[in-house]
Order: sequence, then C-alpha cells, then structure tokens
Amino acid sequence: MKDFLQKVNSYIKEAFSAGKYLYNGFSVTFDHLRRRPVTVQYPYEKLIPSERYRGRIHYEFDKCIACEVCVRVCPINLPVVDWVMNKETKKKELRNYSIDFGVCIFCGNCVEFCPTNCLSMTEEYELASFDRHNLNFDNIALGRLPTNVTTDPSVKPLRELAYLPKGVMDPHEISPSDPRVGKLPEEVYDWMKPVSNETKDKAVKANN
Amino acid sequence: MENGLDLEYIFNEFLKGLGLSSEIAHIIWLPFPMLLVLVSAVVGVLVTVWLERKISAAAQQRIGPEYAGALGVLQPIADGLKLLVKEDIIPAKADSILFTAGPILVLVPVILSWLIVPFGQDLLISNVGIGIFLWIALSSIQPIGLLMSGYASNNKYSLLGGLRAAAQSISYEIPLALSVLAIVLMTNSLSTIDIVNQQSGAGILSWNIWRQPIGFIIFWICALAECERLPFDLPEAEEELVAGYQTEYAGMKFALFYLGSYINLILSALLVSILYLGGWALPIPVEIIAKFLNIPLNAPLIQVFTASIGIIMTVLKAYILVFIAILLRWTTPRVRIDQLLDLGWKFLLPISLANLLLTAGLKLAFPQFFGG
Amino acid sequence: MSIAVTTQLICFSILSLVVIIGALGVVLLESIVYSAFLLCGVFLSVAGLYLLLNASFVAAAQVLVYVGAVNVLIIFAIMLVNKKEDLKPIENLNSRRIISTSICLTLLSLLIRVDLSTVWIIASPNSSIGEESTYRIGEHLFSDYLLPFEVASVLLLMAMIGAIVLARKDVMNQDISTGLPVDQELIEKTKEPFLINKN
Repeated sequence: MKDFLQKVNSYIKEAFSAGKYLYNGFSVTFDHLRRRPVTVQYPYEKLIPSERYRGRIHYEFDKCIACEVCVRVCPINLPVVDWVMNKETKKKELRNYSIDFGVCIFCGNCVEFCPTNCLSMTEEYELASFDRHNLNFDNIALGRLPTNVTTDPSVKPLRELAYLPKGVMDPHEISPSDPRVGKLPEEVYDWMKPVSNETKDKAVKANN
Repeated sequence: MENGLDLEYIFNEFLKGLGLSSEIAHIIWLPFPMLLVLVSAVVGVLVTVWLERKISAAAQQRIGPEYAGALGVLQPIADGLKLLVKEDIIPAKADSILFTAGPILVLVPVILSWLIVPFGQDLLISNVGIGIFLWIALSSIQPIGLLMSGYASNNKYSLLGGLRAAAQSISYEIPLALSVLAIVLMTNSLSTIDIVNQQSGAGILSWNIWRQPIGFIIFWICALAECERLPFDLPEAEEELVAGYQTEYAGMKFALFYLGSYINLILSALLVSILYLGGWALPIPVEIIAKFLNIPLNAPLIQVFTASIGIIMTVLKAYILVFIAILLRWTTPRVRIDQLLDLGWKFLLPISLANLLLTAGLKLAFPQFFGG
Repeated sequence: MSIAVTTQLICFSILSLVVIIGALGVVLLESIVYSAFLLCGVFLSVAGLYLLLNASFVAAAQVLVYVGAVNVLIIFAIMLVNKKEDLKPIENLNSRRIISTSICLTLLSLLIRVDLSTVWIIASPNSSIGEESTYRIGEHLFSDYLLPFEVASVLLLMAMIGAIVLARKDVMNQDISTGLPVDQELIEKTKEPFLINKN
C-alpha cells in the first residue's frame, strides 16, 4: 500500500513538473510573440553595404601592367593574366585578364598589393547564376560598375544595424538624416586634433 | 426554446409555390446541408492555414505571407490552387487502387463528423441521438486510410509513418473516449445539443471545464495526438520519416491529407469548446442580459441576434484553442514513439479511468452539481 | 412508391451487394492485404445496414469495434509480418475442398431455414424504438445479459494475458513450446541511468 501511494505521489509530482516545463516553454514563446520582426524584404529592400565591404572585384584594363603580383599574393593563384612579350618595344602586352568568382574567396589580397591600383573591391554581392562558368569574369565583365543600392529607384535602401541611431533596431523607422551611433570619422578627427595654444589661452582667460 | 426560423420549411414552401411536389422539393433541399458542411469546413481550413502561417511567423519574428491579398489572407487559396493544378503522380511500383483510396478514407470520416457539431440551439446538420459517439466511431476509421496509403506507397518511410499513425490513433482513442464518457455520464445523453444545454445556466461558472478539469486536459492532449499535431507529430516526423505516409503523395491527393489534418484540428477544437467550454453559450447567460436590457427573448430579431452571437462564440472558442495548438507547435519538442505510447497507456489511460470513477462517485454524492 | 422508400431500397441493394461481393473477395483474393481492406468495407456496409434499420448506436459500435479496433489490428499484424513465403502444396486438396464446401453448404441451408421459419414482420412499423435503443441496450447489458457481458470481458482478458505471455517468452525460465531453458540475457533489467541522479 505504501509503495503504491509513493508511486502515485511521484506520478503526480511528475505531472506537475511537466506542467511547469510547459509553462516555461510557453513563457518563452509568448516573449517571442511580443518582439517585432526586423526583416529586410530582399528584392524590394536592400541593406547598404558598409564602406569596406569586399564584394565583386573591379578591374581597369588600361592601368594594368601585367606584373602578376595579384596572382602571386592570391591564396590559390586565381587571376589569369594573359600577356605576350612584345619583342620590339620589350614590353609586356596584356591581352586578357580574368577572375573566376565561383572560386574567389574575396580576401582582397590582390587589391591590397596591386601596384597600379587597377583592382578594387565593389559592393556587388549578387553573384548567383545558373551556370558556374558564368561566374568566370573576363576583363570586360570585371570592368563593369555595379548599380548602387542607394541610387536604384526600384530598391529601398536600408542601413545596417551598426549604422542605426542609438537604441533603434528596425531600419524601417528612421529618416535618412538621423545620425548613426557613435562618432563619424571626421568627428573623431576633430576630437583627436591637438588644441592650439591660442584657444587654450582663451579658455584660461575665460576661467579667470 | 421556441423555433425561430426553419430554413428547410421555408425553402420547401417556396418550391411548392413554384409548383413542385414536396418530395422533389425535399430532394432539391438535400444537397444544401452537405454543401454547407463542405464549405464551412474548407473555409475553416483556409482561415486556420493562414493563422498557422501568420502566428508561426510571429513566434519566430518573421513576417509570414504578405503579398497574396492584404496581410497574405489569400495565401491559403494560392496554395490550394497550386496543389490543384499540380501533376497527380502515382509511383510506378505503388498499388494504384489503395493509393487513391487512402486519402479519401482519411478525409471522408472527418467531414462526416461535422454533422454533429452544433453552432446553436438548432444550428446543426443532424441531431442524431448517438451524437458524440458518432464522432468517436468515425474517427476510428481514419487509421485504416493511413495504413492503406502507407502500405500502397511502397516506400519504407510511408509504411513506418502509416504504422505509427495507426498505433498512435488507436492508443489515444481510448483515453479520449473515456474522458468523453465522463461528460456523457454527467449529461445523461450522447447528443451534443444536450451536452451544451447542460452547461448553460450560470454562464461561465457552469461550463464543464470546472467540473472536468482533468478530463479537459486529457481530451485536449488526445485530440492533439489524434490530429498528429506537435508534440505528437511522429507519423510525419520530417527528420526521421521524410513526411511519413504522405511522402509519395503530390497534387490533389496530398491536398486531401492536408485538408483532412486541418479539418480534424478545427473539429477537435470545436468539440473541446462544445464539451468543455459551453459551446455557443456566452460567458454571461443571454437570459440575464435580456432581462437587464428589458428585451423579450422570443422577438425574431433577438433570436437571429442570439443565433449569430452563438455561432461567433463557438467559432471564437474553437479558434482560441487552435491558437494554443499552433503555439504548442513552436513550444514543445516532439516526443519519442516509446514516450508517446507510455504517455498514452501508462499515464492518460489510468488517469482517465480514475476521472471516470471520480465523476461517477461525485454524480452519486452531489447529483445537483454533476447531473442527476 | 415514395422517394424515402426508393432511397432505402437503393441503399439496401448497394450495401448488400458490397457485403456479398466484399465477403467473397475476402475469401477468394490472393493478396492478404486486399482481403483485410475488403473486410473493412464489409464491416462498414454492415454498419450501413444497421443504420437502415434505425439502429444507429449498434452501427456506431460496429464501426468503432470492428473497423476501428479489430480490422486495424488485423492490418497491423499483416503489415508487421510481411514475409514472403512460398506456399507448400497441400495434400488431399480436392477431398478437403469437398469437405469444406459441404460444411459451408450445410451452414447456408441452416441459415436459409432460419430465415424462412422466422416471422420477420413486426406488429406495427411505428414500434421501432429508434434513438431510445441506446438506453435499452444499456439496461439489457446490466440486467439480463450481465453474465454473458462479463464472461465476454473475461474471455478478452484471457486473450490479452495469453498474448502477453506469447509475446514475452523471455520472462519465463523455459520456453513454453520446447521446454528448453531460455537465455536469461533477454530478460528485461532495470536500466542504469546515464546521468547520476543529483540526490
């Protein structure tokens, strides 16, 4: 009899603890119901990429001297530089240049080391295609400039989280004039500038 | 209560006025209740699918369907149309007869069960004497359809899903029936109308949920298990069984399963609201409100008004339960098959038996509170 | 003939056709799965016949018990034991066939005899009790049919215990059929918990 009562007791205790766990779970669910979504509805709205965004690489054919530094600094020697030696002028003559963005990891080493700055990073990230060979960009494709998110009339540009005013989580709510959180680079510069002697004197005088 | 409006009578009189015999008028009348059941069930499913998607989105901080109609209300219709025009595939090595019959056998009993759902005093398709027992009997046909489709698909996941669904259905049917039996014991009738009338009187205080709190919880758990909703959606557990017995189905046959599961969910919610939450009754009885406002109860306009309020109350209670079911889906993890059977046979069955015994005892001890 | 009578006649003929053809199919079909599903159809049609006789409670009970429980278990068993086996030729097949046919025919003639000798017509067609039958069945079950009712439950209990014993042979020391000692390793042991309990 005692055994049985003990069993019933543990039974009831288990049922109550199950109820408690269910309550805990529901409190989490209801808490999430309260929060609002911060969804960016992609094809119609796009986030503005940050200043140093490493997107698809842009290339200027006319600046290139075919030095092949980009190939050497590339982790997998990806850029293909197709040149021939012109015997008469004893100069390299560039014929083709291509980068396969299906393989590229967008590390930016080539941009960093290019001696003539003919390579640069763009903010283009929409590199989806039906055939991977379409991602092998030649010098003409590499020379195209991407459309800017902020100037595209069909897209509503939204700021990224780090560029929102303090305390704001939803990029939909703010106006373009609202400042971002923290100091802008020029403000940091102003703050770092050494205060000149004249202004220091003025301040001392004002205090006296 | 007095009979306010008899639509069938008015319709028949109208047809007789056109010069038809009463029998032909009756035959013309016959499809209307059937159509009403189908339409209300399907509209209920559309609303539930939309709610499911929107509430799930809200629980996960997403937006959910948005572009089909305002707030995406047309999304379920778009889904249905897509399923309707999809190719109807029968796998090459499947048993085509059983493969086709399976979804039908799953859907038909669920729709038939709508016969006994009352939305008001005289607002139900047929007030059969066996009432709620009809639903229990019909819902026991469903596992046959599930086994049939699981077997006919000629796919191990389908077969396992079908077996699991049948095992789950038959083991949760027993506590479900026992908790219904406790209610029937208090009402002295199987008819759903009588069950609701027995709960009217003192408004929210006389609802069965206060007299049968254990039965209410058992019924709701079993109803969720019968509907294969999370936490009991083992038969279609994606991670283990692809989609269970639905794996090989596409197009309209899949849509039948989909419809069936959602109609079943709404039906269960409606039955919980009828058995435990006072059905069409308001939290405060209509009689008291009418007396307070000094309105005679049998005025035709008031009757129409109370009838529409009754429909709204029933549907509202049901949809609150659907809301809870949807939230449960995003709150609880799925149980294992052994835990599921343990819960059914070792926990719910003894407790529902004890509940039945307790109800019988209380009925003998306090006949005025627990039905004479 | 009124429409109600015609409808009833049509329903009756369809249901009886389904019962007869279905039952023949259950016996004659090669595939056991088809037989099981056809059996479900037969049970459902019998429930339909009960409905035509205004016995809605019996019809629902028929659906619940025979379709929902018995037939599901039959199908379940078939699907769990779906081993392909080559059938051995049976000896004396023809004489067996003759014997079984004669037994069946005798039973059939007995049924026909009962059918013809019973007076089926009820005194007045209005005496059918309809919905009240639920109460009547309850009263009978707990008064004059109490003993058969209880005996049936004892029978079911015996069947259940038998099934458990057969399914869990390993609980016993020796095999029931062979009498050999059973491998004790198979006996269910209390499991060691994976995590040590806090208390």
